[in-house]
Amino acid sequence: MLLIRAIVRPEKKDDVLEELSSAGFNAATMVDVVGRGKQKGIKIGGMVYDEIPKILILVAIQDADKDKVIKTILKTAKTGNEGTFGDGKIFVSPIEEVYTISKGIQEL
Amino acid sequence: MKEIMAVIRMRRTSATKKALVAAGVAGFTAVKVSGRGRLVTDPTQIEECKEKLLSMGVNDFGGVEDTEKLVTSFLDGSRFFPRRLFTILAHDEDVPRIVEAITRANKTEYGIGDGVVFVLPVLDAVRVRTGESGEAAIW
Repeated sequence: MLLIRAIVRPEKKDDVLEELSSAGFNAATMVDVVGRGKQKGIKIGGMVYDEIPKILILVAIQDADKDKVIKTILKTAKTGNEGTFGDGKIFVSPIEEVYTISKGIQEL
Repeated sequence: MKEIMAVIRMRRTSATKKALVAAGVAGFTAVKVSGRGRLVTDPTQIEECKEKLLSMGVNDFGGVEDTEKLVTSFLDGSRFFPRRLFTILAHDEDVPRIVEAITRANKTEYGIGDGVVFVLPVLDAVRVRTGESGEAAIW
């Protein structure tokens, strides 16, 4: 099983979640985060903003669904055809065990 | 070394904290998040609860249709609800005990929406105060 952590623009959040839901991955957790990337934030006038608000979306999936989920997020989180700086990142990490509390079982 | 991530109900935060202390794990990190689970595909499952909520009264502005849409969105799993994300670092042998403690503290009679517990592998950890790394950095 895999945990997908996707950092996306706040304004793209709804698109991404809706698209994920219609692709069959309704379950998700989202966290408001701030961060900066390789470009060291944005410089507007003399002011540097390096805590840019983003949304962190956590989705737990089966290994086989990885490509589908990543493709869905990439497609919806991108700004314009080419993409823009600040569109975010996707991290994939392994999960060893999953427990659903309400059902008391060890599965997703 | 393992990282235990648990998404739980807001109201169960203190119960979970107590359960963790009882299990011998005091350290944790908690974040306010919002989450949702699986979609309800069978409408008969939420029928009873929906009737109960709709009988409470109709929204004056939207009318019956709007109220029904709202109530359905609350019940069918398409809406995000506030949850607490606990992150706990643990030694391999303590993981079953902690997961058991979290599960026991968070189980409710509703049978849905109690959250999930993920166990992820961790490669290394460093304690800032002493600089020690690996297993020694956990508690």
